[in-house]
Amino acid sequence: MATVTFEKPLSPARPDWQALAARAGLRRSAGQAALLAFLLLVSVPIILPYFWMLMISLTARTGGVSTDVLWTACAVIVPAVLIYSIVHSLVPSPRLRLVTGLLLLAIACTLLVALIGDRLHFDNYRFLWRTNIVEEIRSKATAGGQFPSVWIAFRNSLVLAVSQTVIIITVASLAGYYISRFAFRGREAFLQGLLVLHAFPAMTLIIPIFLILYWVGLLDTIAGVMLVLATIELPFYVFVMKGFFDAVPWDIEMSAMTDGATRRQAFRLVVLPQVSVGLIAVAVFAFIRAWEEYIFVRTFLIENKNWVMSLYLFWVADDVMGVDYGIVAAVSVFYVLPSLLLYVFCQKYLTQMTIGGIKG
Amino acid sequence: MSRIELRNLRKDWATAAAVADVNLTIEDGAFVAVLGPSGCGKTTTLLMLAGIYNPTTGDIAFDGARVNDVEARDRNVGIVCQSYALYPNMSVLENIMFPLRFKKVERAESKRRAREIAALVRIDALLDRRPSQLSGGQQQRVALARALVKRPHLLLLDEPLSNLDAALRLTMRTEIRRIQRELGVTTVLVTHDQIEATTMADRIIVMNAGRVEQEGTAKDLYERPRTLFVASFIGSPPINLLDGEAEDGLVKVHQTTIAVAAPARGAVVLGIRPEQLHVDETGTPARVVAVEPMGREVLYTTDSALGIVRFIEAGSEAHHREGDSVALRFSPEDAVLFDKTSGLRIDARIAA
Repeated sequence: MATVTFEKPLSPARPDWQALAARAGLRRSAGQAALLAFLLLVSVPIILPYFWMLMISLTARTGGVSTDVLWTACAVIVPAVLIYSIVHSLVPSPRLRLVTGLLLLAIACTLLVALIGDRLHFDNYRFLWRTNIVEEIRSKATAGGQFPSVWIAFRNSLVLAVSQTVIIITVASLAGYYISRFAFRGREAFLQGLLVLHAFPAMTLIIPIFLILYWVGLLDTIAGVMLVLATIELPFYVFVMKGFFDAVPWDIEMSAMTDGATRRQAFRLVVLPQVSVGLIAVAVFAFIRAWEEYIFVRTFLIENKNWVMSLYLFWVADDVMGVDYGIVAAVSVFYVLPSLLLYVFCQKYLTQMTIGGIKG
Repeated sequence: MSRIELRNLRKDWATAAAVADVNLTIEDGAFVAVLGPSGCGKTTTLLMLAGIYNPTTGDIAFDGARVNDVEARDRNVGIVCQSYALYPNMSVLENIMFPLRFKKVERAESKRRAREIAALVRIDALLDRRPSQLSGGQQQRVALARALVKRPHLLLLDEPLSNLDAALRLTMRTEIRRIQRELGVTTVLVTHDQIEATTMADRIIVMNAGRVEQEGTAKDLYERPRTLFVASFIGSPPINLLDGEAEDGLVKVHQTTIAVAAPARGAVVLGIRPEQLHVDETGTPARVVAVEPMGREVLYTTDSALGIVRFIEAGSEAHHREGDSVALRFSPEDAVLFDKTSGLRIDARIAA
């Protein structure tokens, strides 16, 4: 039998544990720094346009747009963010991090005020309280005479988005529950049909839908757009809700029913609370989807009293683009704000939606 | 508290019968275990009792009255599922109060009752917590309290201990037994664990492939199994089952011939429990091939004139090693003989 001997041991008999630990720590923080740098880099093309929009809305006056404000602001903010991220990856204590963060914020604010403070103004937001802004800028609006108040468009958008949300939540949760729990003839075909409908480009139907709306007398009404949007969006949300219901164990419903609940009570008291995350996610998506809708409202809504926010923005841009970028940017900021707030507050629910969806 | 009867109960699924020809009577206040391997139809039977499934044919009667068409929520049955199925959106107290919601019990009264039952199952300190903040054993107790709070006619336990660790299982076994005795509620326990069944229940129903194999006390099942399946399913370590050929009062097993006083013919199976084999100079020669210490006892596997046979010795006396030669003997009245084709026990004593 041959004996195997190593000429040289692969690892020392007494490794230097401290050096190894230090190396692991270094590697960990290097990895984190690399990740942070990567995230910063990829977020630039997303954040920069929004930031520019905000800067234009706060600084531009009738006429051209100068980019020097943007670059000045970036010259202050980018180093501040970079310094903070370096501090964040190097300094372990959360207290110290906070202090540095606040300090950097104060410095950045002071610099911003000093450099571009005199150029900030809120004139571009005057559309919020004045109706005939377009005429003030360039004599006559192209869109159906007098420009309406932005609040009418805002209200219309709100009505559309809220009712859309209510319809989708109600139908998607009931349908999703039924598909998840009951066996019925053609269930598989129905599920496949939902997927096909979801994948189908609804835009191709825009002319038939226009004609149908015209015949049933719902053309140029918010209700008409609402029905069309809900129909097109529903298959996807039914599918998502089915996924969430699939994840609720059958045992729980069974327990509720032996505890004395009817099926409906079991659904309402026990099952529904467990898919609340899904409901919130679906609600947020449905709301934002209706809020941002453009093609269908552009086609089906004509009179300016029926404008929604996207149409308002379109007509403002159509009329004053090239003349007054500031006001277009200000309307854009106003338009994007509700979606942004919803996203910020419901972020943690939205990320869970994909999980529920994949399960389905 | 009710007397439960199942008459010719049958449940068919699309492809096969899950439960067939089940006839049972469960006396008022009894603790009965339905024992069987997974897929034997025991949970289907339980869910038919609860009213979740409707039997295809046959009747279920509570206190002599047919309840087939009574809905689950009106049967006044409490159920504890394997997963406990607590409502995660409610506190422990709300969970326990949930069944009383549908009984038109006043809130103050239902709170009082929930507290009372919580004290009985010893979770009165946890009432404000959420189910997710409880350990497995505590969740188990909450599920039990919720099932019991409405004073059910029948308590159903579906594998209630299988999600607990070994030590907790031991305590919960005693706890469930204590609570059942205190309330005197008729209880059906469904389990695949024979220890659970034998330690908790008064009577055990062994099911296999949708049918009842045998009903009786733990002692009956162990000592006088009606079928080959019951003999092999009950007992740990398992019974030695030795194939043999019977003719003219003699059974030939491997190289040994045993005289029997039974009219057995053809293929038979001889069953001897490992603890019924003793080392005795005059016995069948055997060679130890494996030694497995199990704490109090030692399990030996031997290659003998009877075939591969296992026997147990108390740890204090056990001193055989692998390769040792021993001689094994068993008292004829301990062994059981089965007809191999029908699987039924041949009701006879072995003569020598």
